[in-house]
Amino acid sequence: MEPQLSWYLALSAVLFTIGVTGVIIKRNIIAMFMCIELMLNAVNLTFVAFSSFFQDVTGQLFVFIVMTVAAAEAAVGLGIIIAIFRNRETLDVDEASILKL
Amino acid sequence: MLVLLFILFAGMAIGCALAVVAQRNPLYSAISLIGVFISLACLYVMLAAPFIAAVQVIVYAGAIMVLVVFVIMLLNVEEEERRRGRLKFLLPLAIGLSAVLIAEVVFILVSMQAPLVASAPAGPAVGLTHSVGSALFTQYLLPFEITSILILMAIVGAMTLARRGGLLSATARIVPGAAHLPLSLIDPAVGHESTEGVEAETTAEAERLLGIDNVSRPPKRN
Repeated sequence: MEPQLSWYLALSAVLFTIGVTGVIIKRNIIAMFMCIELMLNAVNLTFVAFSSFFQDVTGQLFVFIVMTVAAAEAAVGLGIIIAIFRNRETLDVDEASILKL
Repeated sequence: MLVLLFILFAGMAIGCALAVVAQRNPLYSAISLIGVFISLACLYVMLAAPFIAAVQVIVYAGAIMVLVVFVIMLLNVEEEERRRGRLKFLLPLAIGLSAVLIAEVVFILVSMQAPLVASAPAGPAVGLTHSVGSALFTQYLLPFEITSILILMAIVGAMTLARRGGLLSATARIVPGAAHLPLSLIDPAVGHESTEGVEAETTAEAERLLGIDNVSRPPKRN
């Protein structure tokens, strides 16, 4: 018996849900950031699974572009985190509740 | 055999993902996240996508996580302490929302009328570097180029955000004890070229010397 497509989709859904839960309950901004990366990876798994089971390379190109966007997001997001830390001396998102640095 | 491998790597991925959320120290979360990435790369290999698997390890587990770990080390993040209030209602809310999300997915997967068309993973030809590259540089050239512009914007944005000191033009003078701002930012009536340096011990003295001590400005932040 081979692993079915629905198995991969279910795994992806579980990973995505764990990421959503982490974004909701975490208070450290870096931990929330990592949970967002987890959600992006869950979606990537869906893309690759569909691409493989439908024998179409387009899904893998999407994964490639999602990875690029994730890299750009990491650079800009960590820049924002450093700016927030420099201004507030904390990484707690509850402390950064107003929209100015 | 493949089923056993799937169960192994899926279990690793879910376990590491739970550890990412459960750990209080961000550094341990980062290490667990690398575990998720590695097990996902193994799943990509099982799905006959070796190129994506290699990129996953190099870009995600390599570059991005090094950046995250670097920032964690740089900022010397302490562990989250247990705290009152917020988590009391957020934890049940998060678990409830997750249950709803999982229930939706299970409902869709169960209630699918026909089984999905394809049932076997692709042959080795689909995921190779050759096929990915040829599709990327012919049919999908425009998204590729747009992505490069996105990367350029990210570089400029990250440098602007992480730079110390804010706006500093070529003609700006640095006043001791004051914010490092060109005079034209404080008083728009003064042109860029007219800024001259003054020597002062305090901000107020520098303002008096520059003749801008009566210029209105936004209130100081606390």
